[in-house]
Amino acid sequence: MTNKNWASTLRRSLTLLSLLALWETGAQVGWLDPFYFPPPSQVWEVMFTLAASGELWPHLGATAVAASAGLVIGLGLGIGLGFAAALSPILAELLEPVMILLNAIPRVILAPLFVIWLGIGLASKLALATVLVSVLLFFSVYNGIKEVDRRLIERIRTLGGGRRTLIRELYLPSVTAWIMGNFKVAVGFAFTGAVVGEFVASSRGLGYLLQFAQSTYNAALTIALVVIIMAFVLLLFAIAERLERHLLSWRYV
Amino acid sequence: MLKVTNLAVGYGGAPVLDSVDLDIATGEFTSLIGPSGSGKTSILRVVTGLLLPLRGTIELKVAARDVGFLFQDDALLPWRTVRQNVALGLRIRDVPPNTADDQSEHWLTLLGLKGQGDRYPGQLSGGQRKRVAIAQVLALEPRLLLMDEPFASLDAIVRTRITQELLEWVERKQLTVILVTHDLEEAISASDAVYVLNQGAPATVIGHHRIEIPRPRDVLEARQHATFGPLLRCLWKELSEESTSSYTNP
Repeated sequence: MTNKNWASTLRRSLTLLSLLALWETGAQVGWLDPFYFPPPSQVWEVMFTLAASGELWPHLGATAVAASAGLVIGLGLGIGLGFAAALSPILAELLEPVMILLNAIPRVILAPLFVIWLGIGLASKLALATVLVSVLLFFSVYNGIKEVDRRLIERIRTLGGGRRTLIRELYLPSVTAWIMGNFKVAVGFAFTGAVVGEFVASSRGLGYLLQFAQSTYNAALTIALVVIIMAFVLLLFAIAERLERHLLSWRYV
Repeated sequence: MLKVTNLAVGYGGAPVLDSVDLDIATGEFTSLIGPSGSGKTSILRVVTGLLLPLRGTIELKVAARDVGFLFQDDALLPWRTVRQNVALGLRIRDVPPNTADDQSEHWLTLLGLKGQGDRYPGQLSGGQRKRVAIAQVLALEPRLLLMDEPFASLDAIVRTRITQELLEWVERKQLTVILVTHDLEEAISASDAVYVLNQGAPATVIGHHRIEIPRPRDVLEARQHATFGPLLRCLWKELSEESTSSYTNP
């Protein structure tokens, strides 16, 4: 890390710590009502208890499974359909309007429908996460291929390359850059799908715990769960960034 | 090597290029000059099959795989190393990977890029990228080389040096070359023949000149040859008249 980055990280950390200290003091001296704004120490205590008692892990596991599986299936589906539509005008004619419609609506409104169709188990969460991720990835791949540099296509053609070479040498690497550009958003979407699905109807998962915390007016538990979800997503972002640096190493030389 | 007869090219509507006849002998270096928009590049694109003509015939005495096309832009794959870019055409032609890599290295050495094989195009200068693009095309050992203003973006020194190196290679291998250029001096110093295109609607060939400067040539010394000045003035006059008439008769 460079000196500039260290300084930036230090400034951000100090700002965050100052805000937490201000919040803690405000709650302790009575400026903030702890019922609505429980101090960070109380939130930390809830988090610690959740983790130490082992209560957290099955819920975190359920959400992580739904989000991860939704991410993987959504990636596969979105990439597959995006490729198919970009390379086949007939498929594009069929798929594009559906995807535009799905993209235009807040897709989480499909959650109740998935619960009716697939029940309150894993399948309905998986379906929502999959839809959220696949629509995003469809447009990444579809637009990625359509916007490939024409000069590179002609270059490969004049070197004797056909469709297979274009896919291997041009479309796949070009689309990888687009996919990785949207990968972090896709991770966020997968978690949104899983948590919202659990929030609507479920018997386990962080979304279920959130729903429980909300219905019991437990602000400390709600904030603790939000922090846990944020920490988990940030961890996945870090993994996604490493993956991006590996797959797009040519950009970082 | 290449005979183009009554070629017409259009992009959707009326032809932008019409009644074009070219006759290029094997081993000849020919330049196509003309104002911007006169359809010079379109002729090369038709010859390589990137563009379908409205009418006319193209008689090519070599197979399509023996035609190399050097574009105006480098158009290298940014995610492939320099060596992989040079080997691209070879791998498309099913040359085993190790052989393709060895041949790439050979061409990189020939073009003064030894030791640059593991770098990416984004790490090279404009002149180096151009050399990679040349290596990529020459590695396929084309018999007909089409060049669309390949050195337009380079500074004068690098441009002259690369042109000279390429000219020496072309002379040694007796390649047939068609060069599209705006640079009259470059066209005369490198070519055996020059075709002049106008900017009409549609454009067509308005002049064909033979260049009698002996080979092998040095692109700088060729400019001192007795025929260079008069031909330059002649081409300049043809294009000036063309340019003036296109302004006065839009």
